[in-house]
Amino acid sequence: MLEIHCPYCGEPRSEEEFSYAGEAHIRRPQDPAKLDDRAWGDYLHFRSNPRGAHRELWFHAAGCRRYLNVLRDTASYHISQTHRVGESPEDV
Amino acid sequence: MPDATTLRGPRRQACLSLRAKPNPSLPAAVATALGVELPTTPCTHHRAGERGLYWLGPDEWLATAPAGAEDALQAALRSALTGHFAVTDVSGAWRSFNLAGPRAIEVLRKSSPCDFHPRAFAPGRCVQTVFAKATALIAGNADGDFDVITRTSYADYLRRWLEVAALEHPASP
Amino acid sequence: MGAGGGSLPRPSRSAHPTAPPAHPTTRRLPAGGRIDRSQPLRFTFNGRSMSGFVGDTLASALLANGVDTVAQSFKHGRRRGIVGSGTEEPNAIVDLGDGAHRIPNQRATQVELHAGLVATSGARRRLKRFAGAFAGVMPAGFYYKFFMGPPWLWRRWEALLRRAAGLGAVPTGADPDTYDKLNHHCDVLVVGGGPAGIAAALAAARVDARVALVDEQNEFGGSLLGAPQAIGDAPATQWVDAAIAELSACPNAVLLPRATAFGYYDHNFVTVLERRTDHLGATSPCAPRQRLHRIRAKQVALATGAVERPATFANNDLPGVMLASAVAAYLNRYAVAAGTRLLLFTGNDNAYRTALDWRRAGRCVVAVADTRASPAGALVAQAEAAGIEIHKAHAVIEAIGRKRVAGALIAPLSEDGQRLAAKPRRLDCDLIACSDGWSPAIHLSSQAGARPRWNEEGMMFLPGAPRQPTVCAGAVNGAMSLAACLADGAAAGARAAHAAGFGDARPRFAAPPVEEAEEDAARPLFIAPHVQPSSRAPKQFVDFQLDVTAADIELAAREGYRSVEHAKRYTALGFGTDQGKLGNVNGVAILARALGQGIAETGVTVFRPAYTPVTFGAIAGRDAGELFDAERHTPMHAWHMARGAAWENVGRWKRPWHYPQADETMHEAVVRECRSARQDIAMLDASTLGKIDVQGADAATFLDRIYAGSFQRLGVGRCRYGLMLREDGTIFDDGVAARLADTRFLLHTTTGNAEAVLAWLELWRQTEWPDLDVYFTSVTDHWATAALAGPKARDVLRRVCDDIDLSREAFPFMSVRSGHVAGRPARVFRISFSGELCFEVNVAAHDGMDVWNALMAAGEPFGITPYGTETMHVLRAEKGFIIVGQDTDGSMTPDDMGLGWAVRHGKPFGFIGDRSLALADHRRADRLHFVGLATTDAAAVLPEGAQIVAASTRRAAKPTTPRAMQGHVTSSYFSPTLGRSIALAMLTRGRERLGETICCPLADGREVSAQVVRPIFFDAEGRRTHA
Ligand SMILES: [Zn+2]
Repeated sequence: MLEIHCPYCGEPRSEEEFSYAGEAHIRRPQDPAKLDDRAWGDYLHFRSNPRGAHRELWFHAAGCRRYLNVLRDTASYHISQTHRVGESPEDV
Repeated sequence: MPDATTLRGPRRQACLSLRAKPNPSLPAAVATALGVELPTTPCTHHRAGERGLYWLGPDEWLATAPAGAEDALQAALRSALTGHFAVTDVSGAWRSFNLAGPRAIEVLRKSSPCDFHPRAFAPGRCVQTVFAKATALIAGNADGDFDVITRTSYADYLRRWLEVAALEHPASP
Repeated sequence: MGAGGGSLPRPSRSAHPTAPPAHPTTRRLPAGGRIDRSQPLRFTFNGRSMSGFVGDTLASALLANGVDTVAQSFKHGRRRGIVGSGTEEPNAIVDLGDGAHRIPNQRATQVELHAGLVATSGARRRLKRFAGAFAGVMPAGFYYKFFMGPPWLWRRWEALLRRAAGLGAVPTGADPDTYDKLNHHCDVLVVGGGPAGIAAALAAARVDARVALVDEQNEFGGSLLGAPQAIGDAPATQWVDAAIAELSACPNAVLLPRATAFGYYDHNFVTVLERRTDHLGATSPCAPRQRLHRIRAKQVALATGAVERPATFANNDLPGVMLASAVAAYLNRYAVAAGTRLLLFTGNDNAYRTALDWRRAGRCVVAVADTRASPAGALVAQAEAAGIEIHKAHAVIEAIGRKRVAGALIAPLSEDGQRLAAKPRRLDCDLIACSDGWSPAIHLSSQAGARPRWNEEGMMFLPGAPRQPTVCAGAVNGAMSLAACLADGAAAGARAAHAAGFGDARPRFAAPPVEEAEEDAARPLFIAPHVQPSSRAPKQFVDFQLDVTAADIELAAREGYRSVEHAKRYTALGFGTDQGKLGNVNGVAILARALGQGIAETGVTVFRPAYTPVTFGAIAGRDAGELFDAERHTPMHAWHMARGAAWENVGRWKRPWHYPQADETMHEAVVRECRSARQDIAMLDASTLGKIDVQGADAATFLDRIYAGSFQRLGVGRCRYGLMLREDGTIFDDGVAARLADTRFLLHTTTGNAEAVLAWLELWRQTEWPDLDVYFTSVTDHWATAALAGPKARDVLRRVCDDIDLSREAFPFMSVRSGHVAGRPARVFRISFSGELCFEVNVAAHDGMDVWNALMAAGEPFGITPYGTETMHVLRAEKGFIIVGQDTDGSMTPDDMGLGWAVRHGKPFGFIGDRSLALADHRRADRLHFVGLATTDAAAVLPEGAQIVAASTRRAAKPTTPRAMQGHVTSSYFSPTLGRSIALAMLTRGRERLGETICCPLADGREVSAQVVRPIFFDAEGRRTHA
């Protein structure tokens, strides 16, 4: 059971208040029509899936209903930082 | 029983959802319209008489007042606010319970993973959280009692849940 | 012992032992112990009535009653007796209570005795039968070898194995007890209430940290309860009492006795099972029997103690072979002598305390077999001084006896301890107390991710480097003296509190002085050699619960299992409910030797929750029975109840399914409700539909990006059907959106998707388009919705609404008006999911019941009938309206469903999913299409989910199997309006195949043929909707 610091609520909350929303910082192409099927498919389906530091998007579903960025280690589950949408982790 | 937990509700109130981008004139405009100071510290609420204003998110608040006041308050807010905002009457959407008594905290702890210890949850705090298998907004009041504000459709379930949870007052914590 | 017990090696006592008297006759000593002799109790074990005292455990009472055999073993059906005195006990596993109250898998060593307790050693009869038939044919790897055998053979074995696999019987009824959960947050959680744990809790509490102290025993003190010892000038228990009193008075300290920390999860989250009424023996209606504590701690201090390691020798499972610490605990804490003539087998000094205590209690110590050639510790000297015979460099190599130990073979050891130096000889005894060393209870530390490390000096696995904010203290850390445990505990508590933000990391009390005996180095054997090799010698048990022997482990090594994890699975070592608390380290050592390597490089298996078995009741907590799930009710719920509605669960909502009258069947009720809607007027509670209020200058722009259709030019007061797609082009949700004002919309979502849609809107607004000025508010719960459907809808509504012009011209289909209904502010939508003239009346939830009643009254002259979701489904299926999630499955595009008309390409921004619709795969000609099916036999209703195959061309020919699947039935009903069965389906190239006959093979072997038709069966022109 993770404990996630919500940067909007300003305090740690239990995992059950959150839902996972996939890898963070996936930039939606500016003009999807300009992409061929392969490039669009990469955007749609391919994610980094690292062992170690992973930039994730979470949703504080039962709390403030804000999306937040989480830097979580997929091996140790250690969360080294969380920050607001639009902000980036200092170092990955 | 001096130890007993008192459970009241579900009670209906006038409820307005307020969404607005924080800006310098917002607190004054809201205070003028509602007569309650706008809470800008996350997870806090302010009260003025029978009115309450709860922080729900960085651009979201819930205003409460006695049932029937919703139309007047909505009109007041709409005329006071400027820029990008949304005001929605949600009086039908929320019901509130009140828990009082020295063991009220235990009833909350059986229901929610949040920390309600006085060190972490002073009067004036409010949290939206998981509550039993539903969700709720829990607010600590100045008298040491708590309001548990829930979606109307969950009120029957939570009434029963709270009754059962308040039934037992264990000898040890 | 073990986690929560804070167990320690036996402490010393300075008094000199006295000479043994003649053989005493009773196992219960005349005085002493922590039992209350003024409160005798009666209980039954395997049907026999017995007596004990308040303060006994079931195990101590059984021993006092002379019970030697408490179980028969899993595989070989051998007699087993009590071995330990705490969680580590592998044999005395009993079922408590009977019928619905029956609780299987309880360790007698941890069951507090109470009046009327009923215990059964559940494994008895069944295992005897099984073992009698198959003893000796289940070597290590039995399961694996049989899984690889011919399949027919496995089926025979399966029935037998299943019966024998579980220990204990299943309760016969629903559990009558209640359970609940309690959440905690603390700065320092201390697990284990022995000396180290208590010292840690005191150190943390004294600097004002929020502390929780949990211990699995009924009283705090851990090992100090089992052995009299002094702290300072007073008995240790006085120090315990004072410390617990101080902690109890602390407002920020929580004390949980009878509570086992069984799981240590990520981010310092620990689960604790508290037994609240088990020791009272009665079910209390309001007090939960057990409580699951969910503790989030900034720091966790593990003071879980250590478990004594048994010796491995031939027939070491004979009743009467026990842990030396257990023999002492029964003697000192419960005043029970587990036998008369004691033989001690050890390789360490502190086990000598058991012999000294035994002698002091006036019992006979036959001898001590010490693995060491020249032990020189103070306790050894004491024993020698007391005249106890000590056989140095000796081992017990075999226990002798039939029902219980009657003697033992001991033999001198070779220098390396791996062979015998001379022939064995026999000693007469009825109790063998053994100690091969201590195993720190590292289970929780291991669960938390720390890899155990082998400590060569202490010959034990210690907690590895913590992966979470954990500190370890006391015996779990390898501290093996009371003074060391107190000091270690105090330091750990202060350190943990400091890390959590309290104090300066220096304990605010001095550990009280404790007199300790100097101890000599220990020499564990792990397995005693025998005159025969392990494969020939009488069985040398390593894991008592699962009957794993030394020979099994050596066999696994010979068969190539080099990894400890593989060998564990192959032999089942440590797989029992005791998780191998006794046997694991011996097993690892035996494996290491067989592989010719060290213990450190062999390693130990990973421990996982739960440390001890947990009841399902505690895991369920209060989420059972009427509170099993969070039911959502509409404002008209009570009315539906009173009307006798049958319910359908839609997500968490309770929705009326149909309203049977008198003895109507469901079919009859649905026919009546459908007729009423098609011919007159019917009303549906549609409050559950998701509703989202959208406001902001960019509301229309935002919706244009989210919906496949266009909303920019939708007029105020008008509605439009919208499809939301996922980015991959598949249908996510559908519903009608209405423009309430230039910058305000109301979105309808499907009932089950309301929250997901709101999260979806927020996702795009917050992460991609924060520049758009738009806000969303869920108003699902705010509105009560009554859908009036039928040709008389206008006539009915007109009777209770006079400020909205309901005429066809003024209030056309797909529009919304505001006014009053039955005097309450209302928003009325002219939208239709039934294909009839329909008004959906929305009022605030608190007005819902009154307005519903007013509409029923207004409709009475027209024969108004309430209808449920089944009729709603039939009506919409007749019209071919899809239900997202029923007719679609997450892989369908708008074109697949024939909804291409709801997609607007070429919008300025495009929309979510737009690009994917152009993917080659989405444009394949052979995709599944949404079609209607008309069965050849009008009365045959296809089951939903039925597969579609090509119809057989030659009537007589037996169809070949397998036949290619061409699609499946998504919705199917009997339509009362049409007097025939109708179905909706997804069919390959379906739209090109109208008129073709297909076939649905059913599970019962029948085949139902049907014609492919357009997915609309009724009023294809929509005249009724627009009426
Ligand atoms: Zn938050």
